[in-house]
Amino acid sequence: MSNVIHASHLTLTYGNEGKEVIKDANFSIKKGEFVFITGPSGSGKSTLLKALYGKLRPSEGNLVVGGLDLAHVSQRKLQELRTHMGIIFQDYKLVNEWTVKKNVVLPLMIAGYDSEIQDTQARRLLKHVKLPEYADKYPLELSGGEQQRVGVARALAKNPVVILADEPTGNLDDYSSNVIWDLMENACQQLDTTVLVVTHKIPTIFSLPYRHFIIESKGVYEVH
Amino acid sequence: MKFIKNHLMFILPLMAILLGIEFYLVFERTTDTYEKGLKEGYFMLAVTKKPMDLSAFQALNEHISTAEKIKRESIVSEVAKGISRSSSKEILAALPYFYNLGLDSYLHTSRLEQIKKDLESDANIKQIETFGSSYQSNYRLFSFIKFVLKIFIVFMAVVSLFLIIKQMEIWKYAHKERMQVMEIFGAPLMLRSGVLFKVAFVDAIFSTLLVSAIFFYTKFYWAAQSGIDIMVQNQEALFKVSDIGILLGSSILIVIIAVYTVVFSSKGVQE
Repeated sequence: MSNVIHASHLTLTYGNEGKEVIKDANFSIKKGEFVFITGPSGSGKSTLLKALYGKLRPSEGNLVVGGLDLAHVSQRKLQELRTHMGIIFQDYKLVNEWTVKKNVVLPLMIAGYDSEIQDTQARRLLKHVKLPEYADKYPLELSGGEQQRVGVARALAKNPVVILADEPTGNLDDYSSNVIWDLMENACQQLDTTVLVVTHKIPTIFSLPYRHFIIESKGVYEVH
Repeated sequence: MKFIKNHLMFILPLMAILLGIEFYLVFERTTDTYEKGLKEGYFMLAVTKKPMDLSAFQALNEHISTAEKIKRESIVSEVAKGISRSSSKEILAALPYFYNLGLDSYLHTSRLEQIKKDLESDANIKQIETFGSSYQSNYRLFSFIKFVLKIFIVFMAVVSLFLIIKQMEIWKYAHKERMQVMEIFGAPLMLRSGVLFKVAFVDAIFSTLLVSAIFFYTKFYWAAQSGIDIMVQNQEALFKVSDIGILLGSSILIVIIAVYTVVFSSKGVQE
């Protein structure tokens, strides 16, 4: 199986002072793998995730995602890469003045799909995340768990190659968290999508085989 | 209320720029006739040893547009009154040739001096007489009015452009959330900024229509009833249909400049 993500001697710095967060990290993630990245607060988990979707450029080393070296990729190529990614945030990052349906189909809208396909996909995705009757509601009318399910539906909209999730259940109760984990397991199993989740704690109900990396003292280590 | 205020904060500075542009267009048109009169009323006198034609003068300086020969016979007939015919023939033979030279445009006095030098460089030309004083004072007054108007318009445009950009930044902040989310999911800059363009284009069209309406009213209602001679005489120059195109083009250009300035001033929306 080919590597979807490959980091070699990766160093990430953050802020104006160029504070080193990750130093000389080496790891690879294959297609279809489910990966957890854990570590204490401030260890650089979210920074690594930002680097994986190109929000932060590596200061040293290489970070290759979907065949593109993010240290040297052009803005246009980066935009193209992001259209093949599904990104889930702890604070959902939904557009509050858009309906749930419009939020879900955002990746399709960016890719230029016509409205008929967008409608069909929105119905299918909202049914998949068990929110079929919420299409015309607005995010602020939904509970946190429901908003995150909309976030997952949006991440799945274009059958992404990679799903990156930053503390996806951080603000949710146990029931909502379990629903989210189920959805992500399904995406990994059924669509062969690589899923990379940054979290404080690995869920106990998790049934899929997974890999676990921990960030400690600026290094990224695999836990066996 | 906030919605109206937000749009007025964009429309008013844009209208100030458009009013400046339209004032300039009107000023250019109304003063064009005056400028033409000054240009046409101005001649240089050239005194040459041998006859010369227009092309010969133009070869020396391209700004010469007409060369009107002054009949020497009429000069001699005035000078040689009471003198025998043979003597007057001798005077005529000894007289140089005189030409009134017209110019192709309204030129600065320094350019006139250059034309004089160019013409005098020809050995066949004995003398060039420019009538500088009245021309110079007219030209200076005219140039001064034009300069002041241009400075005022440019100053107003710069201040207004800053206000427009400021308002655009407020809009960008208001739409920050959606632009940020769109960026994360790979939306290109044009798509992300689409909302700014959309709002700004609507306001640009609105501003153009308002300014056009003001000048339309001035031309067809106010000017005719004002009783001011210069207004009545120049009523036609006050507003032309083609001005709507110029104003719309300018406002769209301003919108594009403002949106790109705001969007590129901080690449990407900070999370």
